[in-house]
Amino acid sequence: MKLTSEQLIDLSVGAAFLGTGGGGDPYVGRLMVQQCLDEGLSVEIVSPEDLDDDMLVIPTAMMGAPTVLVEKIPSGEEAIFSLQRLERHLGRKASATMPIEIGGINSTIPLVVGARLGLPVVDADGMGRAFPFLEMETFGVYGVPGSPLAVSDEDGDCALIEAIDNRQMEWLARAVAIRMGGSAYIAEYAMSGADVKRTAVPNTLTLAIRIGEVLRRARQSHENPIEALIGFLPNTLYRYGRVIFAGKIVDVLRETKAGFAIGRVRIEGIAPFTSAMEIEIQNENLIARVDGKVKAIVPDLICIMNTETAEPITSENLRYGQRVTVIAVSVPEIMRTPKALNVFGPACFGLKEPFIPIEQIG
Amino acid sequence: MAYITNQDIEDLSVGAALLGTGGGGDPYIGKLMARAALEKYGQVDLLPLDKVPDGMNLVACGAMGAPTILIEKMPSGDEIGLALRTYEKRTGRKVDAIIPFEAGGINSMMPIMLAAEARLPVIDADGMGRAFPQLEMETFNVYGVPASPVALADEQGNAVIVETKDAAKAEFLARGVTIRMGGQSYLVNYGMDGATARRVSVPGTMSLAIGIGRTLREAAAGHRDPLDALISFLRTTHYETARVIASGKVVDVSRREQNGWSVGVVTIEPFDASRRPVTIQIQNENLIAEEDDKVLAIVPDLICVLEADTAMPITTERLRYGQRVNVLGIKVPPIMRTPEALDVFGPAAFGLKKPYAPLEA
Repeated sequence: MKLTSEQLIDLSVGAAFLGTGGGGDPYVGRLMVQQCLDEGLSVEIVSPEDLDDDMLVIPTAMMGAPTVLVEKIPSGEEAIFSLQRLERHLGRKASATMPIEIGGINSTIPLVVGARLGLPVVDADGMGRAFPFLEMETFGVYGVPGSPLAVSDEDGDCALIEAIDNRQMEWLARAVAIRMGGSAYIAEYAMSGADVKRTAVPNTLTLAIRIGEVLRRARQSHENPIEALIGFLPNTLYRYGRVIFAGKIVDVLRETKAGFAIGRVRIEGIAPFTSAMEIEIQNENLIARVDGKVKAIVPDLICIMNTETAEPITSENLRYGQRVTVIAVSVPEIMRTPKALNVFGPACFGLKEPFIPIEQIG
Repeated sequence: MAYITNQDIEDLSVGAALLGTGGGGDPYIGKLMARAALEKYGQVDLLPLDKVPDGMNLVACGAMGAPTILIEKMPSGDEIGLALRTYEKRTGRKVDAIIPFEAGGINSMMPIMLAAEARLPVIDADGMGRAFPQLEMETFNVYGVPASPVALADEQGNAVIVETKDAAKAEFLARGVTIRMGGQSYLVNYGMDGATARRVSVPGTMSLAIGIGRTLREAAAGHRDPLDALISFLRTTHYETARVIASGKVVDVSRREQNGWSVGVVTIEPFDASRRPVTIQIQNENLIAEEDDKVLAIVPDLICVLEADTAMPITTERLRYGQRVNVLGIKVPPIMRTPEALDVFGPAAFGLKKPYAPLEA
C-alpha cells in the first residue's frame, strides 16, 4: 500500500490517540513525511505476513523528549544514518524498516526513512501504543535483543551500543541521547521477517490510519466521533473500547522528574458520570481511578479526548476547564501475557495495583 | 627490546602517581592488575617510540571516570579486553601494539594489562605526558589524530562505540556513557600508525615514570634526600626542570564530585611564616598553584604534591588536613607547550583566567 497525504493526516491523529497522552506530538514527523511525498518519493507499507522469514528488518525511531524535538528540528538524515551504521555493523542490508512505537511521533520516523531509502515500512510495531523506555517492546518480551543499537544526531555523530540486556541498552542510549541535545535518532532491534511475525504487534500503522479516518468521517457526517471509534474497534486487534468517564478538568498537576513528565489530572464528572476521575501520568496515562477504584490500567489504553472535537489530548496540552471524555481500550493479547506484563505492566511503573483487563472492570 | 619487570611496575606506580599531578587515579589498583596480568600471560615488551615501524597499527587505551569512584568500584579485569575486541571488530584490523594515552596515574597500568592479555608490546610514550581529565586533551588530538572510534566497556560486559568528528564531542558522549556505567569505564581510542605515533606522542614517558619511581626507591634505600635525588634525575630527562614551589602543611581540603570529576581546592600553609598560604585548584589534576595572586605554576606544567619526608606523590583523593608536603613544579616537554597544544590543554581549556607562564620563567 502506498501512503497518501490524506492517510498521513489520519495517521497522525490515530497515532496521537494510541499515544495515550504521550509519545510526542506527531506534527513534526508528519511534516517530514509530507515533505518526502511532495518531493515525489513514496512510502510503501507492507503487511508483516508478506515478509520473507529470512529478510532483515531494522526498526528506526526518535529517542528523547518530544518537547525538545519541537525546538530542535531534525535534519531528516539522522535515523537514516543510524540504520546505515547498524547495517555496516551487521554486514547486511535491511530489506525494510518498522516503527518501534506506534503511539506519537515514532509512527512517522520510519516512514521518512522508508521514503528516503526506498525501503518498505512494515505495518507493525513493538509497543502497540507509546511507552517511555526502549526495553518496553514486545520484540524484547519475546526474545529479540535490542542491541546492537545505533544512535545518531544532526551532526552525523553516532554511538553504537552493545548492551547485555535491553534495560541497560536503554540506560546507556539515553545517556548519549541526552548529550546529543535531548533528542536523537536510533536504529535497534534488528530482526528477521520471521521474528517480526512472531514478536511484533501487527497492523498498527494501518490501525492508526483507520482510527484517524473513522474520527474524520464521523466529524464530516456529523455523527458522534467517539461512538464511531468505539464501534470500529471490534473489527481490530484492539477489540474492546468504552467510555469510562466524561467531565471537566478541574486540576492538572505536572512536573518534570528524572526526564519524565510526571503528573496527575482530576476530572469532575458531568452527568451521567458522578464523582471525579483521577489519572496518573508518567509521559503516558498509566491508571484511571474513581474514588480510589481502578477504572483502567496500563498497558490497556487510557485516552483523554476533547468531548466536542474528539481530538486526543496529549499530556502537555491538558488544561483546567477542558471538557473531556476518557476512553479505555483493550490492547492485543500479545501485550497482556505474563511475560509482557513483566516488562510494561503496572509494577514496571511503580503502581501497586495488578493489571486487570478493561473488559473485566465494572 | 626491554621488557617490563615486576620491579618496573612497582617503580612505575610511584612515577605514574607523580606524573598524575594528583589525578589520573591511584595507580595502586592498576598495579595489582598489571602484576596479575604479567603473572598470568607472561612478559610485556616496552618498545621505544623511535623504534616503532611506520606501518604498525597502534591504539591507545586506559580508564575513564572519577578516580574517587575507582577505589570503590574495582574493575573485573575483563573490561579493557572487551573494549579492544569491540574496537578491532569495528575497524576490521588486528592491533599490533598499545600506546598509553595517559602516563599519569592508573592509565599507565591499563596498557600493560591489556598488552599482556593481548600479547602485544607497549610503546614507551603517551599522549598527555602527565594526566588530564578529558579525552581530547591529548597530543594525539593536538597534532591531528582522530579520537574516534572510541570503544568503551564496563564490568558487566556492556560495550559502546562512539564515533564523532571531533575529539571534544567524543569526550562529551563517552563521558555520558561512563557516568551511566557507574562512573568508571575502560576504553580504546586514537587508532594510528607507527609513523604518526612518532610525530604526535610525548616520547619516553613510561620509562620516565619508571625512572622516577626507581630514583625515589634507591634514594630511600641509600638514605639520601629523595627530593634532591628526584630533581637531579629529572634534570637528565626531557622534562629537565623541577623546582620546589611550596613547602608546608595542608590546612584545608575542599573536594566534591561534579559532572564526573573530582573538583576542589587545597590550601597549604608554608613552614616559612613570612610566606602567604598557597592554594592549588584541582579538576582531577592539580591545575594552578598560587600564592595570593602570584602564579607559582600552571597547567600543563606539572604541579606535584609530595610527602615532605619521602617525596612520595599524594593523589587528590588522599589529601588530608595536617599532611606535611613539598609542592614540586616540573616543566613539560616542548611538544606540550606549543600554541596548538595550549589551545587544547592550556589554562583556558580549564576555565582559568590566568595565561600560561612557563615554570622556568
